[in-house]
Amino acid sequence: MSRSSQKTDTTSEYLIPESAPELLRGPKWLRDARERSRRDFNKSPVPPRGLHLWRYTDPATFLIPHDGPPDSTPDDGVQSSEGPVSEHLEKDSTGRLVHDVGGRDIELHGADALTSRGVVVCRLSEAVDRHRKLVEQYLYQLINSRSGKFEAQNSALWNNGIFIFVPDSVRVAEPIHLLREAGRSGSTQFHRLLIVVGRNAELTVVDEYFGGDDSDRNTSHANSAVEIFGLQESRVRYVSLQRYAHRMNSYLTHRATLERGATMLTVPLDFGGAVSKHNYGVSLVGEGAESNIIGLLFASGRQHFDNHTRHHHAASRTQSNIDFKTVLRDKSTSAYTGLIRIENEAKGCEAYQENRNLLLNRGVRAEVIPELEILNEDVSCTHGATIGPIDPLTIFYLKSRGIEQEAAVRMIVAGFVDSTLKRLPSDVAERVAGFAHRRLEGL
Amino acid sequence: MPDQKALFEFNDIHVEVDGKQIVSGVSLKILPGEIHAIMGPNGSGKSSLSNALMGHPDYAIMSGEAFLDGRSILSMSADERSRAGLYLAFQYPLAIPGVTVANFMRAALQAHRGKDADMSDFRKLFKAAMKALLIDPSFATRYLNDGFSGGEKKRIEILQMSMLNPKMALLDETDSGLDIDALKIVSEGINRFHNDSNALLLVTHYQRLLNYVKPHHVHVMIHGRIVKTGGPELALKLEELGYDWVEAEYAQGTGA
Repeated sequence: MSRSSQKTDTTSEYLIPESAPELLRGPKWLRDARERSRRDFNKSPVPPRGLHLWRYTDPATFLIPHDGPPDSTPDDGVQSSEGPVSEHLEKDSTGRLVHDVGGRDIELHGADALTSRGVVVCRLSEAVDRHRKLVEQYLYQLINSRSGKFEAQNSALWNNGIFIFVPDSVRVAEPIHLLREAGRSGSTQFHRLLIVVGRNAELTVVDEYFGGDDSDRNTSHANSAVEIFGLQESRVRYVSLQRYAHRMNSYLTHRATLERGATMLTVPLDFGGAVSKHNYGVSLVGEGAESNIIGLLFASGRQHFDNHTRHHHAASRTQSNIDFKTVLRDKSTSAYTGLIRIENEAKGCEAYQENRNLLLNRGVRAEVIPELEILNEDVSCTHGATIGPIDPLTIFYLKSRGIEQEAAVRMIVAGFVDSTLKRLPSDVAERVAGFAHRRLEGL
Repeated sequence: MPDQKALFEFNDIHVEVDGKQIVSGVSLKILPGEIHAIMGPNGSGKSSLSNALMGHPDYAIMSGEAFLDGRSILSMSADERSRAGLYLAFQYPLAIPGVTVANFMRAALQAHRGKDADMSDFRKLFKAAMKALLIDPSFATRYLNDGFSGGEKKRIEILQMSMLNPKMALLDETDSGLDIDALKIVSEGINRFHNDSNALLLVTHYQRLLNYVKPHHVHVMIHGRIVKTGGPELALKLEELGYDWVEAEYAQGTGA
């Protein structure tokens, strides 16, 4: 399960130097925050193996030397990527598309119509100036230098940032699709996403991470941070689609907070990369808020995934629901830690968590660790997990109808996945089903 | 060598489950157009026999031979047996979440016809087959057997049989879990399916199905063996007197 690494944090090459160009970007409050984050990163130890949430993945995987020239911006020429923008536009001509080419540039398609309604979709570095009050109010509120070593690193060095703001009572019907492309081979990207959805407003975002190298060159890295604010009665849907190439390590922290009556659907789709450690967390801070997380993870080859979900009930009558499914084959491994925390003052809450793991052959490994921290009695909380191969009797049933073994397995796996896709709102399902099915075919 | 006239024939079948012998040398010959019934008390091995003949992984055939249309089937995988024309209507059909009845049925029919075969008639056939069994059209998009009642599952089993049109159908306790209306619908489906060129083997504890689907031959199975064979009147006698008298006769015969 563990990935060995020769790296340690004893050498200075992993420290962020004072001279890192990112630290000098933005107004003073931002530079101060970046500098604070740099210091916190440099002085915090690499989490020891075995520490909570680091039992299954070597933290050294995500250590990146900082002594070389800044490589966060890709060199000239657009690299090969598997999903050309035009393809997305064709399929989705009415959608709003934001193409973040490895931090080098950002292309906006169809955003004009939104601007007239006060919706903001722009680079975070621009928003720092143009929407200063909003950004200063919200950035770093959920993920900052104190959130963890790698969160501090992102907070210091983020360079590919996107800011989305939806004013009160504005409904953005079309999903906003973010295409976030990995840098060149051996590079590191620090993605940052800040989303603020106003009162009674509505937004759907598809956050797609892709690119990187399939060949046997240097591994690329991505360290991503996503902060989402759902103000009172807002309705937010956020899809995180990770379909990196094989030579890519991905560290991602997602934090969302929901005010009174707000609802959020989070859809983590973890398909790509070599080692991925993704942490999705939603805090229900306002009464009656509701969060649903519906996730899929497909692993093959020697891929390793370490996922964490966190539902924090800080207000009464809040609801949370998690359905997270994993399909593993070859020699892939996965760990899933699902925390539900219900505070003492949060009465009448409902929380549900289900994690199902389908193992397609021997040699794969899945770990499931449910964590319940329930501090009052007045709750309804259930959780369940299954880990196992496809039931041979189910295969027999299909075979007894003439369907060949391999086709039977494919049908059962597709069914396992489709029953989750069917739980998504149809417009979201349409958008992600193709990716899921293509990834399944490649399993 | 198989009997040239027999549609389905098996000889001296021995079946083990978890290393324990459940079926101890059973033979039967079924001609085209015939309906046979195997009756027996619980644990007699009659369900094990039908599961083993279909290729169920938990039921190992230790010895014996079986021929469908003159072809030996025991070395075939379950899917090959199905495509060769054998069908088993299960006593407890499994649910397959995520796989709709329509998609499942289409995949099964495609497998039978060959993967490049034209399927443009599928919807029409499927709708007609559903209608004949009074299955609500909404079942097409439901997940196979997922949350279905016992009676609904049995109807879906018969639906599959009517669409795949096997030569030889084994029906394992198809009447169990059916109320009288459902029993009639299912029986009519079975009778519609049956013709001079196919055959049925009904495996049942009770004879009530046999009121609707009339067998030509009735066999009684006890302790893994067929101990008595007769006509339809044998089923009625079993209904009236139970299995005790056959058991007693059998015990006498074997000197047990």
